[in-house]
Amino acid sequence: VRQELYRLPVSSQPLYIAGQRCFSNASIRKKSGEPSPSEDKVHLTKSCVKRLSEIMEKGEYLRIQVEGGGCSGFQYKFSVDRNKNEEDRVFEQGGVGIIVDQESLEFVKGSTVDFSQELIRSTFQVLKNPQADHGCSCGSSFSVKDVVGFSVRGVNTPPHKEAANYRREVKNE
Amino acid sequence: VNKRKILPTRAALTLTPSAVSKIRLLLQDKPEYIGLKVGVRTRGCNGLTYTLEYTTEKEKSDEEVLQDGVRVFIEKKAQLTLLGTEMDFVESKLSSEFVFNNPNIKGTCGCGESFNI
Repeated sequence: VRQELYRLPVSSQPLYIAGQRCFSNASIRKKSGEPSPSEDKVHLTKSCVKRLSEIMEKGEYLRIQVEGGGCSGFQYKFSVDRNKNEEDRVFEQGGVGIIVDQESLEFVKGSTVDFSQELIRSTFQVLKNPQADHGCSCGSSFSVKDVVGFSVRGVNTPPHKEAANYRREVKNE
Repeated sequence: VNKRKILPTRAALTLTPSAVSKIRLLLQDKPEYIGLKVGVRTRGCNGLTYTLEYTTEKEKSDEEVLQDGVRVFIEKKAQLTLLGTEMDFVESKLSSEFVFNNPNIKGTCGCGESFNI
């Protein structure tokens, strides 16, 4: 229920188009020029493809969702999913695939999904996210650059982000 | 009469069975390393984070924890921080990590990587 609060309001238009229009309103357009479909992609690193091919059975995908939460306002959530919905985008590479729903894609497009292996932990990570301002050290939480922030999209800032901003202000004082 | 006083000792760090078997597995084909070393570093939104690395020798100031045949060393800087901590290894399909259940900490980051005491 909680994650639904931060989702875009349900509209009769396809969500993809709604997202595109909001995106072109944002000032990021100046920087990147016309948004082309190729920029809406999510890239996979070699280690990510390798790991997914090891752990995923046929028909299983890695689903990436963005939710409000974490210390920086938004966080990534990874899960294994067999079902593709209509509004999902699938990115396939090397025989494996990841699923991102349209709303989450707005926050992760252009980024790279990696499987990082360290002694202390091995986990999937979203790297080089052009939308993310600065995140938590672990990379699971991030804040969004203002250009594509919720305010641009006409949706209220989620309480988590407000709290994060408030904390930052208090800290700076 | 020189009476020897026996003091109770408590391991600075305890390992769960899953942590023990994972460390054993990690060190199995690496005879050059004698164990793992746990440390803390200033990082993250909550101040501190754990570090873990292979070690080839025991340094003077390191605290050695020997449990079920595996050796873990604790850096001098981390000894007070870690006292009484349980080191666990948690594995799922998508991720695997060493988790430190530390009774001394006051708060953690959402992801659990960063903490303060």
